[in-house]
Amino acid sequence: MKTRIFEATRYLILAAGLIFFVLPVASAIEFSLRGYGNKGHTMANYSWIFQQDDFFTNITTSLRLAAVAAVLTLLTVVPAVVFLHLEGQKFKRFFEFLAILPLVVPVVSLAIGAQKAMPLFVQNSEYELAFFYVVIAIPYTFQSLNVGLASIPLKTLVEASRSLGASFTRTVLSVIIPAIRGSINSALFLAITLSFGEFTLTSLLHWETFPVWITRVAQGNVLGSIALSMFSLIGAWTLLIVVQSAQNWKGIRLKRTAEEIELEEVAL
Amino acid sequence: MTVMSTNRGTATRKGGGSSAIFKTLPLAPFSLVFIFFFCWPIFQIIKNSISDGKGHYNLGAYRLMFTKPYMHAFSVSLQLSFFSALSAGLIGAIIAFYVHKSSKSLQSGIAMLSGVLANSGGVPLAFMFIAAFGAQGGIVTILKKLGFDIYGHGFTLYSFSGLVLVYSFFQIPLMLLVFTPALAGMRNEWREANNSLGGSNLQFIRWVLIPVLFPAFLASTLLLFASAFSAFATARALTGGSVALVPLVIGSLIDGNVITDQANLGDALAVGMVVVSAIVMIFYGFSLRWARGR
Repeated sequence: MKTRIFEATRYLILAAGLIFFVLPVASAIEFSLRGYGNKGHTMANYSWIFQQDDFFTNITTSLRLAAVAAVLTLLTVVPAVVFLHLEGQKFKRFFEFLAILPLVVPVVSLAIGAQKAMPLFVQNSEYELAFFYVVIAIPYTFQSLNVGLASIPLKTLVEASRSLGASFTRTVLSVIIPAIRGSINSALFLAITLSFGEFTLTSLLHWETFPVWITRVAQGNVLGSIALSMFSLIGAWTLLIVVQSAQNWKGIRLKRTAEEIELEEVAL
Repeated sequence: MTVMSTNRGTATRKGGGSSAIFKTLPLAPFSLVFIFFFCWPIFQIIKNSISDGKGHYNLGAYRLMFTKPYMHAFSVSLQLSFFSALSAGLIGAIIAFYVHKSSKSLQSGIAMLSGVLANSGGVPLAFMFIAAFGAQGGIVTILKKLGFDIYGHGFTLYSFSGLVLVYSFFQIPLMLLVFTPALAGMRNEWREANNSLGGSNLQFIRWVLIPVLFPAFLASTLLLFASAFSAFATARALTGGSVALVPLVIGSLIDGNVITDQANLGDALAVGMVVVSAIVMIFYGFSLRWARGR
């Protein structure tokens, strides 16, 4: 009896949660399909998106900046975390502390500082945004790499490679990178999604990217900007789900290899 | 003999020194970007906030910050963060508990969806809610036909309660993400022990569940608090500034929509936000340690 009540409550709570998240999405999709003056439903608002030249300009800008931010993350955060796991044990706690700080400083505060502190040649290039995106994403990218690397016996792998006579470059290319590829991928993916959606700093520094453009265009065409929002939300969700499922699958495989390595160590 | 050993000593130390610098080289790119694009701007805000714009030390901006309109903005921001963190925290914790009691596949599915939704703040989310819960929105129309005229009862999306509703859309998933790991430490034996000692369900919740989970709940809720406190995009797109939140005030100061004789008021407010957020994060750190200490 007790368990039946518990099961009923469980289903009720989960169903309520599902409704809370599905209902606004469904309702907004219905709204975005409305014609002007509430006349039936059409795809007009969605086809309007693709008639905007600014749509393509801004989506390319956002993608380009996100790609640059990903490359910068690869060149800055990845080497730092790998080093901290291999040889920099004594700096590890300090850098973990540093990596949380961008979460403590609200982006609005960073934006007001960025506006005043950057030299002109930096302020005049849209690529300043990519650097700031890297910094804003550090709490997430650093943490994801840090956790990912902790589950891999990286030090053992590197020592094995070195003792077998591999050069430093060889070790990096054929041992370190393949071993941590999964963690690198998820960190870069985080950097890309955060960069692509960043609005606060971008708009306060007066640059136009995809999210900033959506708010500007909303002043002229509300239905269009709602269609645009649903388009970008659903696009982002689909992409995230695909990537996460791929990663889950990979994660299972990686875990298995790690376990196998441990088993071999025990056997030795 | 002595000379030789001294020489050898210096040689090793020298070698060790230069190779130590060489060895920490992988930290250099990270440190440079961090210093130039994070520490330097923060240093500038602090410096600006305590000067009069001509390089003289002056606390005028802070004096202005502690006047009524700006203290009001801080108070609204804090209230919004408090209510949205508490409501999303409680709802999220309850959902997390029932998800934890479900099958493994449902658990991993919900974990994945939470990860996706927790990242979906910002402008598009605000517009989605405008479409769903605006005066013309489908949900509002259907509720009206059913006899619940929510706008007739003083609700509007472009307000404090509207923001709490919209924030919960990414805060509940965030709660699920950060709180669920704490539930993994729960043991079925506790419940059995409680039952065999004659404890009721209510007693189990009151004397076992709540004390054990409280530190993790507190830590997770503080994280939600911090995320709500610094949120800007959603609030800006939704209210356009009609709810006076500190980030929105700073935003309009930067855009020059608000003119004050204190040019560096924005810097002072920005420092104020960093201080509040730092206090929250320090408490977060303590409660996390408390949660892990169990």
